[in-house]
Amino acid sequence: MTAVRPGASGTLAGLLGAVSGASLSGIGNAVAVRLPAAELERAAHHLTGAGARLADLFAAGQDPVDLHLIWALDGEDHYLITQAEVTGDQYPPLSDIAPAAFAEECEIYEQFGIRPASGKPLNRVMLPPHAGPDFPRLGRQPPVPPADLHAPHTVGGHAFEFPFGPVRQVGVESLYYGLVTSGEEIVDLYMFTWHKHRGLEWRLRGRTPREASFHVERTEGLSAVGVGWAFAAAVEAALDVTAPAQAQRTRAVALELERLYNHAAATAALCQATGLSIGQAAAEIALERLLRLNAAVFGHRYLFGVVQPGGVRRAPDADAVRGGLHGAHGELRRAADALASTNSFLDRLEAAGIVTGEQARRLGLVGPVARASGQRIDSRADHPAPPYVEHRPAVATRDRGDVLARFQVMHEEAAESVRLIDDLLEAGAGDGTQELPAAAGSGLGWAETPRGEALVFVGLDQDGRITRARLRPASVRNWRGFDDACRSQNVFTDVPIIEASFWLTVAGTAR
Amino acid sequence: MTDGDPALSSQQDQPGVPPPASGSEPGPELAAGRQLSERIARQFGRSLHIRTLDTGSCAACEQEIRLLAAPHYDLNRLGFFFTPAPRHADLLMVTGPMVRAFDVAARKTYEAMPGPKIVVATGACALGGVYQPDAFVHGSVAEILPVDVWIPGCPPSPLALLQGLLVAVDRLAEKVGGLSFAADETQEAAQ
Amino acid sequence: MALWFLRGLRRGVVTTGYPARSDDSAARLPTPPAFRPAALDRSTADRLVAVCPSLALRREADVLVFDVGACTACGRCQDAVPGAAAPSGEFELAATSRAHLVKRIPLLREAGT
Repeated sequence: MTAVRPGASGTLAGLLGAVSGASLSGIGNAVAVRLPAAELERAAHHLTGAGARLADLFAAGQDPVDLHLIWALDGEDHYLITQAEVTGDQYPPLSDIAPAAFAEECEIYEQFGIRPASGKPLNRVMLPPHAGPDFPRLGRQPPVPPADLHAPHTVGGHAFEFPFGPVRQVGVESLYYGLVTSGEEIVDLYMFTWHKHRGLEWRLRGRTPREASFHVERTEGLSAVGVGWAFAAAVEAALDVTAPAQAQRTRAVALELERLYNHAAATAALCQATGLSIGQAAAEIALERLLRLNAAVFGHRYLFGVVQPGGVRRAPDADAVRGGLHGAHGELRRAADALASTNSFLDRLEAAGIVTGEQARRLGLVGPVARASGQRIDSRADHPAPPYVEHRPAVATRDRGDVLARFQVMHEEAAESVRLIDDLLEAGAGDGTQELPAAAGSGLGWAETPRGEALVFVGLDQDGRITRARLRPASVRNWRGFDDACRSQNVFTDVPIIEASFWLTVAGTAR
Repeated sequence: MTDGDPALSSQQDQPGVPPPASGSEPGPELAAGRQLSERIARQFGRSLHIRTLDTGSCAACEQEIRLLAAPHYDLNRLGFFFTPAPRHADLLMVTGPMVRAFDVAARKTYEAMPGPKIVVATGACALGGVYQPDAFVHGSVAEILPVDVWIPGCPPSPLALLQGLLVAVDRLAEKVGGLSFAADETQEAAQ
Repeated sequence: MALWFLRGLRRGVVTTGYPARSDDSAARLPTPPAFRPAALDRSTADRLVAVCPSLALRREADVLVFDVGACTACGRCQDAVPGAAAPSGEFELAATSRAHLVKRIPLLREAGT
């Protein structure tokens, strides 16, 4: 993690010219600009106009609440944080400028009681309906409870709402869908995820980073490495610590193994959703081999406990990787090739669940979903942290934005992951951890999980304990593209196919 | 199923069925208890339908449960089947630390199943690990549902889940009750 | 579909023989620790309790209470006090009573205390 590059980027220089009263600082490895709250709208206009991607929006502290907007400058190799103190209970509306911000505006309202000054109704997204005044929040209770999302039961006399969940099929996470349908076609779709809210950001306060990493990994068990790495990177940036090079390569080996098994699992889920049980079995054989490989290499099928702030807890068993990786990936590749020549499978994928490039950009989608819609964003390539500086991945993209495009992107990525793992082991992946000083600081960390960019922001007090940990797994972002994908001329039975191709978790978004 | 089915009565002689409790002649309560457990073994022993309930897991337990049906584990060969229909379900596998917002859904899911029914708490958070009880979670499935079998692990591997299911229907004897988790000195000397 | 049929035949059987036979893949699974009473006094036990992130360890006077049910086999206790614990190798942990999973491990009596 490198030092701040003050004033290096054109976008930043432009921003400082466009707003008044800004002061520049460094937050670990990102550039931070502090603004008066009144200048937020102007700054957001300027940055979205300059092509910056609003990657996250969150609040911290109380009296005043400190708003943080994380902008990814994907063409310029870094993240920009704009901060503004909000006194009173309103701040300039941001979702009118960057629509991706709406879900976060709702979340900030539930957790901190402050709202955008637009008067727009805010929805319940995070805390359950029974959350009263005593319910643990990061800030203060909103003066008026947020609105419950729902659709009218009849829409234009021709559609009705079909509630589904939260308990669904066997072996899938709890999720409540409100499907608005005219009988076959999906008119609208919304969802509740608060059934799974475990208050993780609240729980992490007061913990040391090492203690916290246990729960951070369990935010989204299927991206334990990715989210764990983003958290570790944030802590390291806050404390100005650099993990040993061989440990950084170990993290990347684990992350690419995580990508492989997730893409295999998504393939199995796609086959299940399309009713192709024989293809499902083939993908599951590959998946099980990849999970056993994880266990052989790192001692855990889901790679829990590999990454820790400061370094890694385990070194990979390089012989186990060499002995098992190509065989397991070959199994996956053969299954994918056979699926790619099975018309009954392809017919269900083609033109299903289309997300246009414009939608993906507007909603700030990330990962394979964005890349399958022509958005070339991959934090390993756009914001390379070691070891991806030397080991650059080739970014797979497609333009059609349908389920088939996502399937193809995943399998191209899987092959690239195998190449990266070989290279990383060649360069030497080992264990090693830096001690963490007990000091104050704040930092931003990121990692490209199988679902896309995960971001974590960490603030530490003088004793090195967490005052604010913002966890933003990729699922938080990509669910907001799911309803658009389902609406695009799809029928009922396409929904599970689209869900499998997004391959998100409820756990990650509910936190 | 009828009691007179010869295929069923052979069930009791299977090696997997635990031996009777050691000691003196069983009292009437014990005998009644054993009769009950034999009846459950007869009813559930050959074909059993499983439903799952996620009360706030991290999604890893769900992935392992899905893999039970994958070729490597193939739970159907042991007479277990997954069912999405509560009316068909005999056994409920519950994952997650029991988020309080889930109380109603969890009770309804349980009540929708016909009796007799088995609840299996699955994974460390369902058993009381990972999450301290607080305003968000109960911290254990047993707070809301009557749990019959506990399967530890984070997440429990499909093999551990298979063993748990077989223990739940009395086709394998529980093993963990007899373990001390204290390394024996003589064992160490041998290593 | 013929393609899939032939693929399946070529692939052969992968299904585990468990429970009739043991399964080799079990050897790679993380397992809860077994503790060495000979290496445990009150202060080492307290160090173990302090690093457990999952509410699986507590100390009651001269007994270390280990809740296998709450254990995630994360290995933090083994890292914190090397020699006090090692993986037990047990993965067949299902219990019919919650109490069966709670283990009481006696500690060394400290001389002079």
